[in-house]
Amino acid sequence: MNLLLAPFRGLVDFFQALARIHRIVPWLVAYVFLLPLPEILSATGNDYYIYLTNRILIFILLSVGLNIVKGFCGQVTVGHIGLYAIGAVTSSLLAINYGWPFWAAMPAAVVVTGLAGIIIGLPSVRLEGAYLALATLGLGESVRIMIAVTPALGSSTGIMLIPPPQVGSFVFDDFQKYYYLVMTAAMIGIYLSFSILRSATGRAFMAIREDVIAASVHGINVPANKLLAFVISALYAGAAGALFAHMPPGFIHHNNFTIIEMVTLLLMVVMGGIGHIWGGVIGAIIVYIIYDNTLEFYHIQPLTFGLIMVLLVVFMPQGIGGVIDRYLVTKRFVKLREEKSDGAA
Amino acid sequence: MALLETRRLSKSFGGLRAIHDLDIDVEAGTIHGLIGPNGSGKSTFFNLVSGVYPPDPGSSITFAGTDVTKSPPHAIAKLGMARTFQLLRLFSEMTVLQNVMVGYHTHVPYSLLGTLVNSPRTRRIDARITEEMSELLEIIGLAEYADMPAAELSGGQRRLLALGRAMATRPKLLMLDEPAAGLSPVNVDNLLSIVMALKDRYGLTLLIVEHILKVVMDTCDRVTVLDHGEKIGEGSPTEVKDDPAVVEAYLGQEMDDEEVRQAMQA
Ligand SMILES: Nc1ncnc2c1ncn2[C@@H]1O[C@H](COP(=O)(O)OP(=O)(O)O)[C@@H](O)[C@H]1O
Ligand SMILES: [Mg+2]
Repeated sequence: MNLLLAPFRGLVDFFQALARIHRIVPWLVAYVFLLPLPEILSATGNDYYIYLTNRILIFILLSVGLNIVKGFCGQVTVGHIGLYAIGAVTSSLLAINYGWPFWAAMPAAVVVTGLAGIIIGLPSVRLEGAYLALATLGLGESVRIMIAVTPALGSSTGIMLIPPPQVGSFVFDDFQKYYYLVMTAAMIGIYLSFSILRSATGRAFMAIREDVIAASVHGINVPANKLLAFVISALYAGAAGALFAHMPPGFIHHNNFTIIEMVTLLLMVVMGGIGHIWGGVIGAIIVYIIYDNTLEFYHIQPLTFGLIMVLLVVFMPQGIGGVIDRYLVTKRFVKLREEKSDGAA
Repeated sequence: MALLETRRLSKSFGGLRAIHDLDIDVEAGTIHGLIGPNGSGKSTFFNLVSGVYPPDPGSSITFAGTDVTKSPPHAIAKLGMARTFQLLRLFSEMTVLQNVMVGYHTHVPYSLLGTLVNSPRTRRIDARITEEMSELLEIIGLAEYADMPAAELSGGQRRLLALGRAMATRPKLLMLDEPAAGLSPVNVDNLLSIVMALKDRYGLTLLIVEHILKVVMDTCDRVTVLDHGEKIGEGSPTEVKDDPAVVEAYLGQEMDDEEVRQAMQA
């Protein structure tokens, strides 16, 4: 394992060293590294890879957002795809029916989705575990059904000709151009989620996950913070939905928001190691590649993904994040303990 | 007026009266002991006054001059009440430092937005909080474990962390539920001296539930004795020790060897 991960370890050390200059430096360096990715991918001559990358980046936003409510705050939610759908539909309709530019439609969709997050989150004030899962599943799925039966929301034909974003005369109308948009969004999303994790709010979320009663007697307003976690994750879902809707070819359909997508998303977070941000990102990459290459088996996808999830929970509960923490990240207390045992020997 | 006052405090679980018509006054600046046989309602009392359980109708709880009978736990914590749990309830997956920082939660003077933009002000405050919390860890002797997950601490260290986390809320009243349970005599003394140091330094009022009678007798100014959810005695430690009703309650119950041994020590 150690040998296998040696190159990654170098990378991690490199970025950790950069972070010592300033917190933002590793992010800027990573951003510059990632800019030429579409050029490299287009060398394959196949547009699919750039398309796949864009979809992955959108799912990274979803997965990082879901990790905040599920991973940090410990609230089981299976309604996240419904929020993604709300973001997508809201932004599309504002752009098509009211002529809003993407730059106005998307933030508005994010706000609307955030408000919807309150509704999805409300059951969490009273319910836990499986009951909460059922309640959120019901709410999320009813969003999809609403879309499927309401002509104004696309119903069976979907919403078409959603205009691409535009800056001056530059139009993000192909996958390569769109990549810069979604990559930037994903980077900002990951960065912000680290900031949240480090903040007092992030600690409050984790405390709720660890022990609700202990959290509350230490001054944490549990219902309010649960709702806040739902809203923050909904903001991510709203942004992801809007980005998805405006991506060429500018078409969304209620089939994009089914329980299959929800299971896929859950698997990303579970595989990544619940509550581990980088794990969630890597989980999103791996799972989405599998998902997109097994689309013709859509009828067994949820079952297979569900089974993988169960196996992971049983045999690898820390997920990829656990591997990262164990083999890649040097922690102070690990060193401390080694020094101690050296001293004793 | 006492710092904490309960009047006709009652709580039933189904048919079981865990606490019944209990009037207790904890005076500011004192160390108040709460003792009683197993199942007499001590932990339930903590859960009622800290807002974890809603009391039965007709009860009243006043803390620091505020009626908190119906207040949620976090609101009571903000008024300056802190408590530990008999079973600790640490945030196991979080680090030692994060555990105490959660305790400090209500005193963090910036919003989430401030964190997101990571303003110099936020960074200054963060640095100050980290420093203050490290100082607290120093006092409870866990400074070198700051970055270790709480789950990896030893039993005694966990009890210290529970104490530190409660202290981080900067309480007026600190309520300890069997803080020394399971500790070796040396560690009991260590814990007690830390508690006393904290009390002096921060001007605490203490309410201590403890089975180890020695702890109660040595430290408390006043002791309340519970049996079957009712007050059966109250006074100075010596008064209580000689109270026939108290002696009977203690002798009437089956004690395991450990408890007998501890009772003898006291
Ligand atoms: N959540 C609860 N549900 C039902 N019964 C409880 C609950 N908490 C405590 N009890 C009961 O109330 C009584 C008092 O318990 P407790 O306050 O824990 O006693 P002590 O802390 O003095 O040992 C016991 O009979 C206990 O079984
Ligand atoms: Mg108890």
